[in-house]
Amino acid sequence: MDWSTNLQMIAAGLAMGSIYALVALGFVLIFNAVNVVNFAQGEFAMVPAFVTVWLMSSLNIPFALTCVIAVIFMGIFGIVFQRIAYYPLRHRSFLPVVISTIGVGIFLKNGAQIIFGAEPLSMPRPTSATALKMLGVFVDPQYVVVILCTLALLGFQYFFFEKTMLGKKMLATAQDKEMARLLGIPVAKMIAITFAYSSILGAAAGILVGPIFFVTKDMGAMLGLKAFCSAILGGFGSVPGAIMGGIFLGVIEVFASYYISSAYRDAFAFIILILVLLLRPQGFFGEKIAEKA
Amino acid sequence: MTTRLNRLLVPAVLVVAVLILPRLVTSNYWMNLINLSISLAVACLGLNIVLGYAGQLSLAQAAFWGVGAYTSAILTTQFGLPVWAGMFAAFFVAAFFGILLGIPTLKLSGHYLAMATIGFGIILQLILVNAIWLTKGSDGITQIPSPWIGSFELKAPGDFYYVAAVSLILFTWGAIHLKDSRVGRALMAIRENEMAAGTAGVDTTYYKILAFTLSAGYAGFGGWLFAHSCSHYISPDTFSFEQSVIMLVMAVLGGNGSAIGSIVGATLLTLLPEMLRFLKDSYMMFYAAGIVAIMIFMPSGIAGLVKSMPVSLRLRAWWNAGSTAARQVASAAAARENSGGKPNAFSIEDCTGSGEVLLSVKGLAKHFGGLKAVDGVDMEVRRGEIQALIGPNGSGKTTILNMLSGLYVPTSGEIALDGAVVTGQKPHVITAHGVARTFQNIRLFGELTVLDNVLIGQHSRSKAGLVAGIFRPGSQRTEEAALRLKALEALEFVGLRGKEFAEAKSLPYGRQRVLELARALVSDPKLLLLDEPAAGLNAAETEALVELLFQIRDRGITILLVEHDMSLVMNVSDHITVLNFGKKIAEGSADEVEHNQEVIDAYLGMEVATEVSNDA
Amino acid sequence: MMLDVKEIETWYGAIQALKGISLDVNQGEIVSLLGANGAGKSTTIKTITGLLAPAKGRIEFMGQVITGKEPEDIAEIGIACVPEGRRIFPGLTVLDNLMLGATPRENAPQADIQKDLGRVYEIFPQLKESRKRLGWTLSGGQQQMLAIGRGLMSGSKLLLLDEPSLGLAPVLVQEVFRVIKEINGMGTTILLVEQNARMALLITHRGFVLETGKVMLTDTAANLLSNEEMKAHYLGAHAHVKEARQRRRSERGRV
Repeated sequence: MDWSTNLQMIAAGLAMGSIYALVALGFVLIFNAVNVVNFAQGEFAMVPAFVTVWLMSSLNIPFALTCVIAVIFMGIFGIVFQRIAYYPLRHRSFLPVVISTIGVGIFLKNGAQIIFGAEPLSMPRPTSATALKMLGVFVDPQYVVVILCTLALLGFQYFFFEKTMLGKKMLATAQDKEMARLLGIPVAKMIAITFAYSSILGAAAGILVGPIFFVTKDMGAMLGLKAFCSAILGGFGSVPGAIMGGIFLGVIEVFASYYISSAYRDAFAFIILILVLLLRPQGFFGEKIAEKA
Repeated sequence: MTTRLNRLLVPAVLVVAVLILPRLVTSNYWMNLINLSISLAVACLGLNIVLGYAGQLSLAQAAFWGVGAYTSAILTTQFGLPVWAGMFAAFFVAAFFGILLGIPTLKLSGHYLAMATIGFGIILQLILVNAIWLTKGSDGITQIPSPWIGSFELKAPGDFYYVAAVSLILFTWGAIHLKDSRVGRALMAIRENEMAAGTAGVDTTYYKILAFTLSAGYAGFGGWLFAHSCSHYISPDTFSFEQSVIMLVMAVLGGNGSAIGSIVGATLLTLLPEMLRFLKDSYMMFYAAGIVAIMIFMPSGIAGLVKSMPVSLRLRAWWNAGSTAARQVASAAAARENSGGKPNAFSIEDCTGSGEVLLSVKGLAKHFGGLKAVDGVDMEVRRGEIQALIGPNGSGKTTILNMLSGLYVPTSGEIALDGAVVTGQKPHVITAHGVARTFQNIRLFGELTVLDNVLIGQHSRSKAGLVAGIFRPGSQRTEEAALRLKALEALEFVGLRGKEFAEAKSLPYGRQRVLELARALVSDPKLLLLDEPAAGLNAAETEALVELLFQIRDRGITILLVEHDMSLVMNVSDHITVLNFGKKIAEGSADEVEHNQEVIDAYLGMEVATEVSNDA
Repeated sequence: MMLDVKEIETWYGAIQALKGISLDVNQGEIVSLLGANGAGKSTTIKTITGLLAPAKGRIEFMGQVITGKEPEDIAEIGIACVPEGRRIFPGLTVLDNLMLGATPRENAPQADIQKDLGRVYEIFPQLKESRKRLGWTLSGGQQQMLAIGRGLMSGSKLLLLDEPSLGLAPVLVQEVFRVIKEINGMGTTILLVEQNARMALLITHRGFVLETGKVMLTDTAANLLSNEEMKAHYLGAHAHVKEARQRRRSERGRV
């Protein structure tokens, strides 16, 4: 057992897992609020990644300001998205909504290609490229940044939902929309905010993962699908579940592709998904839901 | 006779048009595109079976397309088998993979099912890329041979077209026949209301797997068409999740559930990009925007749009008038006029109340985690009686009905029907034993016709399978006619005559309740379970219901009903069982229960001592 | 008159659930809405709170027309609802649930809201003890108390209670009704929907009895308690039903 390799892989796994967790969280929040699975969630990370690259590389805007702009942009994006892809279909069955979100995903992918070209772009690193020495092992500093930022974001989110009235209102809307209305909570606004926040989570994911890989129009697709796997792993609909699922998947993926097969790296997420759906469909933290006769 | 001939004329014209097409199209380029469209159309026909008919969202269709293409490509290039052998292999190997997908995903639906199929498709694609020893990996397989007929090689696109076109016609014919058969009805029942399909006698497990298998087989055949035409080259990139999405959009654009619609959708979305080439890169964006717009404005696709046009309504009426079903309904109506209008042969068992125990329930319990919904109930229902199960909300009445019909597995206890132990059996098995039920919140197959709803009720008493449904031998046609006859008599019995071809969900509420009753009756039940049959009915409808219940009892069927309407219960029941908090607190005749103090306290909350003494 | 409901007709898709309901509630009263399952009681409440829009009719609250308004607006105007099935937020604490109940007047001074919270804790001491517990961990009875407390937090003058005794053990039912009377004594007007007619009528001033979407009977509680038709309604011992039973009994005797 080469411990230093394993530690490096743990770092990489935690970093990737954090990205999955952020995107998975975005899924779960939207799903809890409006019972819709957003198949364009991966593109919620791809779009801000491109915007970031453009702002930094073409307009030479410093990193900190770029982040602020990207976050604001995605917030507005989320609200617009909700108005176009969700709102007109909010009373329909799930198939039209699934297809509609898939359609928006394709639109965004190809829009990105037209605007930014088909070549993969590289995002300028906010951290230096020299490896940090931690616990006796060399680790890419970007991984550390990813993990720390994700923790910070999760901390902020915890505070928001646990301690602020707005956060409680959003949770209430997600748990029982009708009752929330009866209490006077403006449910439509809560839903818009949910989409906006979910997009901002995507922005975080896109900006954090951009320097690790190239920024391409296709980066959202696999990211979205694997984040969906993470959410199901953790128990679809559970917020801590999405986070645990994402981290678990990230770490497993790294180890499996090293020890078992790197060619099938992408398959592990889905193999685990199918196993979970077979053996314990409610995931780690989810609850069994049965239909009432 | 004329209508019958007209019905044959239309397909004949279409077939001729399809066959002379190559005469009109001279460019090889467009011919290749048409062949590609057909290959996709066959795959979409398959998707239409699993999604349109059975309602299971599968996003792995491109993977099965790929399995078919690769199976035949490998067999013909590496093993030198003739292309026609590859054709059979493509269909059956893909179908086998369909079973592999169908079995693990049985308990899944909606998003979970979609995700599982996506995962399955991606894994298959990865295998295609990485099993280089078999598939040559990303390089793909080149120089895939064309089929030969005798000494004639079907290499030119215009020549291969005939193979494609004939296959398309046959597969479409199969899909259309399937829809209008016992198997097709079972699939649609699952789509409309899986729970009700089970209690109506449909083995949902078997049919869901069948849907996946058949749809994968179709896709595999489409893959065979693809491999042996066009560029005679396949590579794993083609068989991606994106391609599955495109197939989904084709099927939904054409109209979910419409075979012709799938063909239109596939053709349109294959030829359109060529015609829109001038849009270049932005083509996909228009395509995507179009998808969203279609979902918002045209959710039933082109087929739905066409269906609602007045021209097509008249065409359909003319078309349907010639169908076997319509002709049978018309002649039955005529016969009824002559015989004076009484429902004749609709009979179930003829033995009237012999008083012995039909249903015996011992120690029945159902715990949901810590909640004891039913906590040890003993009950008996005697043959030929009407028994009512009453109690306050939450007392466990519906839970008991659900256990009796197989929807819940009891935590403990035993249920025996006519001597046979049926505890914990699946709903369709219990239906076959002779139990039928209706639901508190009416569970009809809403988009299907009234007649189809009742035909599905007879699923457990008929047997035509997949092959019989498609090829329609004499035995199948005889069975269908007999099923229709019984259905018509049941509809007459409940008073729905003349509504046979109406959509079930378009009926007014009271008529819907009665339709559910008809569907339950045609399964020849010994025991009929009714869950709040009078809910939402007005006084007149309730009286009609009471009359129906007596008539049903007179024909030998035993009834157990759960009801809140006390006037109905007291009027109709021979025996009443009262539940509270999951336990039986009283039973007896209407008089006995009405005067039982514990019942009054628990359920009714009224002081009736004065009234009791006045009554006596 | 605080609440004036005039001739409302409400449809669920193709079914007409309410066929012209009229009722009124005066300030300070407890009014009961009674009737069997499916008579339209909950539909009436949903129409008043704005979850359903009536096809016809008019609803006025304290002189203001509220027909067809959205539930969020009606909550702000001053009608609080404790719906059927309690519907507390399972993933939030007792305190959260209560504080969310104060949403319609969240801009009022904090001191007032805290005062009302104290009042709720006085009425329901169990809630104070369990204020940090999550909603789903509470028992049915505790959830009902929480739901009522949450309704009180809005400071609303009119409280709609839909089947508060549903699914509760008899001793808890008594407790719930005692609390309702206490709240009314403190100044809240109450419109109470109940299947348990006897217990409801014991604390009510006036009652309306619904049957298949119409008001069949309305009177003071005392009169309703001794009304023959009322007893018959709940026991199915209407005269014509009794006759039908006699007929069948003699028929079977013959066979």
